[in-house]
Amino acid sequence: MIPALTTMTLALPLLADHHDSFWFPDQASTFAAGVDWVYDMILYISLAFFIPMMAFTAYSIVKYKKKRGERAESQVTHNTPLELAWSIGPSFVLVWMFIQGSISYLDMRTPPEGSYDIGVQSQKWKFIMDYGGGTFHDELHVVKDEPTKLSMRSTDVIHALFIPAFRVKKDIVPGRYNYLWFQATIASEKVSDEELAKAKKQSEGGGTWDYDKYQFTPDGYRFYDLYCAEYCGTDHSEMQTAVVVHETQAELDEWIKANSSRGDVSMVQWGETLFNRRGCAGCHSIDGTKDGFTGPSFKDVYGSSHAMVSGEELLADDNYIRESILDPKAQVVAGYSPVMPTFKGQLSDDDIASIIEFLKTLSVNGEAADDAEAADAETSSTETTPAS
Amino acid sequence: MSTAVTIRDPGYPTDRENYLTNSSGILSWIFTLDHKRIGMMYLAGVVASFIVGGLLALGIRVHLLRPDGVLFTGPEGNNIYNQVFTLHGAIMVFLFIIPSIPAALGNFLVPIMLGAKDVAFPRLNLSSFYLWCAGAVFFVSALLSSGLDTGWTFYTPYSTTTDTSVILATLGAFILGFSSIFTGLNFIVTINTMRPPGMTWFKMPLFLWATYATSIIQVLATPVLGITLLLLIAERTMHVGIFDPEYNGDPVTYQHFFWFYSHPAVYIMILPAFGVISELISVNSHKHIFGYRFIAYSSIAIALLGFLVWGHHLFTSGMSSLTTIVFSALTFTVSIPSAIKVFNWIATMYKGSISLTTPMCYAISFVFLFTIGGLTGLFLGTLATDLHLHDTYFVVAHFHYVMVGGTLIAFLGGVFHWWPKMVGKMYNDMHGRIAALLVFLGFNLTFLPQFLLGSRGMPRRYATYDPEFAFLHQMSTYGALLLGCGLLYALVVLMISLAKGKRAPANPWGGITLEWTCTSPPPYYNFERPPIVGDPYDFHNVEWDAEGERYVLTEPERKLAPEETPSEQPAHH
Repeated sequence: MIPALTTMTLALPLLADHHDSFWFPDQASTFAAGVDWVYDMILYISLAFFIPMMAFTAYSIVKYKKKRGERAESQVTHNTPLELAWSIGPSFVLVWMFIQGSISYLDMRTPPEGSYDIGVQSQKWKFIMDYGGGTFHDELHVVKDEPTKLSMRSTDVIHALFIPAFRVKKDIVPGRYNYLWFQATIASEKVSDEELAKAKKQSEGGGTWDYDKYQFTPDGYRFYDLYCAEYCGTDHSEMQTAVVVHETQAELDEWIKANSSRGDVSMVQWGETLFNRRGCAGCHSIDGTKDGFTGPSFKDVYGSSHAMVSGEELLADDNYIRESILDPKAQVVAGYSPVMPTFKGQLSDDDIASIIEFLKTLSVNGEAADDAEAADAETSSTETTPAS
Repeated sequence: MSTAVTIRDPGYPTDRENYLTNSSGILSWIFTLDHKRIGMMYLAGVVASFIVGGLLALGIRVHLLRPDGVLFTGPEGNNIYNQVFTLHGAIMVFLFIIPSIPAALGNFLVPIMLGAKDVAFPRLNLSSFYLWCAGAVFFVSALLSSGLDTGWTFYTPYSTTTDTSVILATLGAFILGFSSIFTGLNFIVTINTMRPPGMTWFKMPLFLWATYATSIIQVLATPVLGITLLLLIAERTMHVGIFDPEYNGDPVTYQHFFWFYSHPAVYIMILPAFGVISELISVNSHKHIFGYRFIAYSSIAIALLGFLVWGHHLFTSGMSSLTTIVFSALTFTVSIPSAIKVFNWIATMYKGSISLTTPMCYAISFVFLFTIGGLTGLFLGTLATDLHLHDTYFVVAHFHYVMVGGTLIAFLGGVFHWWPKMVGKMYNDMHGRIAALLVFLGFNLTFLPQFLLGSRGMPRRYATYDPEFAFLHQMSTYGALLLGCGLLYALVVLMISLAKGKRAPANPWGGITLEWTCTSPPPYYNFERPPIVGDPYDFHNVEWDAEGERYVLTEPERKLAPEETPSEQPAHH
């Protein structure tokens, strides 16, 4: 993160700490210094034109402001050599800008062989990073000084991935892969354990982690901002996440491992984590709110019957929920559009079971269903999958 | 003034001649074919649209006073914000900026500057106004049904999947496109065929050059927008599979199509402003415009080069490297003709006799603001920096410096310059200048901080934002409120002039172009016969008449030569 920038540092940019330039966030990738240099050069060139032009204009206004009716001192109509000079002269500067910009661009365009590859799946209004081996997380974790390539795809509309501190941006266009690469140069600091514990305690029961408030991730890392830069609908402005740069590959691997599966947390807790991390929360509320949400609310959904678009009336039991996750367009609740992307191959059976457990806790029917299930299991007459 | 010179001044029109009063009743306006009345109706229409778009802009700015948003809260807050910024953009672009100078001022001025009685096709002209009204109705109905939340660019596949009124709004834009084409076509024919004796191409006022270049773009580029919008509607309703990847379409194709029109459209917006500024600076410096031919040619150059640079809106979309680099190179070429104009305007002021009238104050702010707008375009044309700045507030600030600091300021300058001609009343110049100053200060306070917001990484079209950007957003909001006050002040100055203003002389500023040689307001027929014209920027024969508070054109004493009468009469006499 732009280290806890306050309005004070913006108001007094010259007094801010040395990481902060007036114009830019941190220079945290190998591209940053080059881009900023080109920016500064264009800025100085522009000022070298702008200031004399405006000074000359001001001089003319002061010097030649006259009473009405007084004659102009000159009625010169043109001066071809002068005009040619100011038409052709600046062109050389423009050629220089073009060349500098294009050279840097080609570097930024071509990922080196053997870059560390991370998949990025974007959907309204969430980025989901794919670390391979079934590990998905909404934060982007990379290794310092290691070229990293993002292979990005979108399941709905155009998004764009923008990391200001790295000076990189690329649209993510549905129907094709777009790539982006960078090499981070500054590892993220870790906050002290006390600070982390304090924040964890504060945020307990408060739902999702507030990155803006704490300025570090739930794992205690300071982070760089990652924004969606292409307008993508309602919660475009909330389609943000954090970039954490690890010192070593080992540290990253350890973090991936810790996030790859449920581990020893309870199924309900893991289900809630997945609900927040995998983008469910973007379209489904858990408190019954319908306004502003694309999909039905999960409150009391488990174990209750719903009319489908197809006209059938279905009971939202374990199998229905499983089907809705793996093949969301098969049976859509009446009044909603079939816009949910599939999670086939992206969630393990344990993940799906954890989500179902989490949904049970949101529903008044949850407890009863558990009992009924137990009874069903005894008589081995489980309900069949609803016809699709 | 020596008695030897004769002065030319048309005096004042009678009520029967005055185009505003020669016929009365609502029907005399609805069915009028008079280009001046059509121009005035356009003026009222675009100003009304501007007020709506401006209030939406204030809504956006007030909302962004705090990181979590102030105005639009609750579960639908983000949706409302998205609709507000979409309508702000769509109304400002399609209903205000594109018709502002060409249709409102252009309709009034083009025939008069040509010494003609009307445009070539008066009925086409009236129909273009009614198409504009129809387009506006579609926009309002989109607003009233389920809103519009696509951004004014209608990018697919968002626009093909959102459940807001995309079809109504795109039909509105489609119809407005025809309005624009009709105006352009009319002006091309008018300027080609109806110039008066003596007015060669290079004796035309520069406003006409600018209008001509604009009209070329309107006629050539707007049909592409029409096609694109129809395809968008087809994709949405019939899934023809051109823009939506779900049906094997390509969203980037839409962007190419859209910007093929919309980048030239940027020049539809700014070229007429260049024309206005050329007139304002020359007249108020009472000095020949410097480098007439360079300015005229640069308008045409911009019109043509403007067709080749659309790809710079797609630098981050994943086009091939070669395409991207070629578009970057082409983009730089278009900056040269704009720079030439600015240099020429500054040179025109040098050694002039500058009157700091209200229009001149706007012209000077234009030079300042447009130069910033143009120079900041260099950061966006350069690929390395564009990747960082694309779709951030830097872009927002850049195009507002061009569209508002450029076109709107020029439009205001033009309205204040030709107001006495249009309504026959003088406004209070001192209050006009105060309003211009407020607009200038408010504008800079609004948009300068946005450059910094953008380079620090604030993405555009965000309903809420990270707390570290709050201070700059607040500055911007206070600036917008000041800008709003300045614009309101300017409007009040003009409205008061209608009620209380002094009667305007034919030539209050000392202009040479033909509109200043007919009365204020002009008679409904403009000129009895086509006037004979010379250089439109030759200020040798214009004098200030302090008694009548007006400028008059003088004719030097003409003598017969040889002076003596021959002593003998020729035989055949």
